[in-house]
Amino acid sequence: MRTPTAVGFLDADCFYVSAERVRDSFLMKKPVGVLGNQGACVIARSYEMKGAGVDVAMPVWEARAICPEGIYVKRDFRWYEVLSRAMLGVVRDISARVEYYSIDEFFFAVGPMPGLSFQETAEAIRAKILAEVGVSVTVGIARTRTLAKLLAKSAKPEGARAMLGRDGETALLADRPVTAITGIAGRRAKRLLPWNILTCLDLARADRRLVRDLLTATGEALWWELNGEAVQPIRPERVAHKTLSRGGSFGESTLDPIILYAWLVRNLERLIEELEYHGVRAGRLTVWVGYKDGQSGVGQANLAVPADRFDLLLDVARPCLRAAWVPRVPAARMQVIAEHLVPRGRAQIGLFDDPESAARAEAVARLKREINLRHGRFALRSAATLPLAAIYKDNANGYDICDVRGKGCF
Amino acid sequence: MCAGITLAWSELPTELIGRHNLHRIALERGGEKEVRFLFRDRRPRLPIWRDGRLQVVRWGNGRGQSRFLPRTGWTWQSTIDEGGWRNSGAIPVDIPATLGLERGIWYRVRQGIRGLLVPDERGIAVVYMICEPASHYYQVMTRSDRMPVLIQERI
Repeated sequence: MRTPTAVGFLDADCFYVSAERVRDSFLMKKPVGVLGNQGACVIARSYEMKGAGVDVAMPVWEARAICPEGIYVKRDFRWYEVLSRAMLGVVRDISARVEYYSIDEFFFAVGPMPGLSFQETAEAIRAKILAEVGVSVTVGIARTRTLAKLLAKSAKPEGARAMLGRDGETALLADRPVTAITGIAGRRAKRLLPWNILTCLDLARADRRLVRDLLTATGEALWWELNGEAVQPIRPERVAHKTLSRGGSFGESTLDPIILYAWLVRNLERLIEELEYHGVRAGRLTVWVGYKDGQSGVGQANLAVPADRFDLLLDVARPCLRAAWVPRVPAARMQVIAEHLVPRGRAQIGLFDDPESAARAEAVARLKREINLRHGRFALRSAATLPLAAIYKDNANGYDICDVRGKGCF
Repeated sequence: MCAGITLAWSELPTELIGRHNLHRIALERGGEKEVRFLFRDRRPRLPIWRDGRLQVVRWGNGRGQSRFLPRTGWTWQSTIDEGGWRNSGAIPVDIPATLGLERGIWYRVRQGIRGLLVPDERGIAVVYMICEPASHYYQVMTRSDRMPVLIQERI
């Protein structure tokens, strides 16, 4: 007889805080916030701090006012990755098909463990992670990815639930707003509103063709998933990137175009590392700048020939920044995005490329890579980044969430 | 600058708690008792490790108890390096701390903070917290341009 299989979803509870607590038991049961954006914002908070009303992305100054007893710690993505990969290892011991969805979320194919029910299996997985990694997690087991994720989110924190029957699913879906589904946020939820689709159950019971019309094929896939048909597979291998980007908050906003340019060069150097790692070249570059007053600016340009070389990309990025720049408004964040990615080996060669200068640029890039490999990331970097000396001095800025590779999403 | 620290109640000997009435400045956070040493206290004090013993001594000279010592609770690392405390009888000490407080922000301190212990003209031990220019992170988090010198830690 074939062992019945289902989809498991494992989600760490306030992961960054849990990770800090693994190495620092002093933080247990206290209101703790992990700060990102160079110390400006709360990027994760404990349930105690959440209970006080502190939200993710809240500036530390606002958080301080509503949770004066809160304790703040600095983010450390190197450590979070260690624990993330340890969790991944445990899940891989349990299942042969595991998707590394995000730093603290995993989908996996799961059958009941020998002698256990699905519910007991969910509890056993939760206990195993806690025992072997020290992180508190919630596990959901259901017929599809979407149902497993909804179930786990409804059971947080420290939950373990298995639900493979329609009756239980109906109650779960009726209880959750449609926005609880990953992929349905503001704009999509608004489109559903005139049709009185407010809960997950409303969406599951809506006409499939209507859902397709309103939310395209992506929405239809969700409709099938909510109705128990697994149409979204578990992907043990990450799907190839369509775009690559690097950037983030500056921590402190800036009016200074020299500093803005320094951020552009820093983000570009990080993007080139990523292009090299994935063995692709960029055919188009976009520079997006977010300003403190809420507006944003965008500059975009196609490259004559796809490239991963610093000099060529910077030549394109510079006018993009000029287009995205709004003078006299403090800039707060930036993203540099590479699109139209072409595998390195298949990239077209430019008709007017000077082979000598190309070889020289390749040699410089190689030397830079080797020096940084030996002496530390960014040991050798463009002099244009000198205004950001304080950023480079802080070791924590040398490794970000996006540097944790292999996961499906942010 | 760092305006206070906490130390877990469990890290303080009972005898020291009794002698210095530390229960008066004890509070609970997350179900765990801690002692808060604040510069704004009527009698600002700090714990220090000296000769392998934990002691509680006066924090700085903010109220002008001494006519000769600087009327502050902090001293720059650069002042020490440049010999500003030479011939004062000052010795380096460690200030144990579990948390630091700056402009209302409590941040984790793993080991403690460097301090400088000096006698005043009556021979009473006074500790100054040693500070340095704030790191970018500390500056963004607290909006302060100086930070305490942490023991074997850089945030």
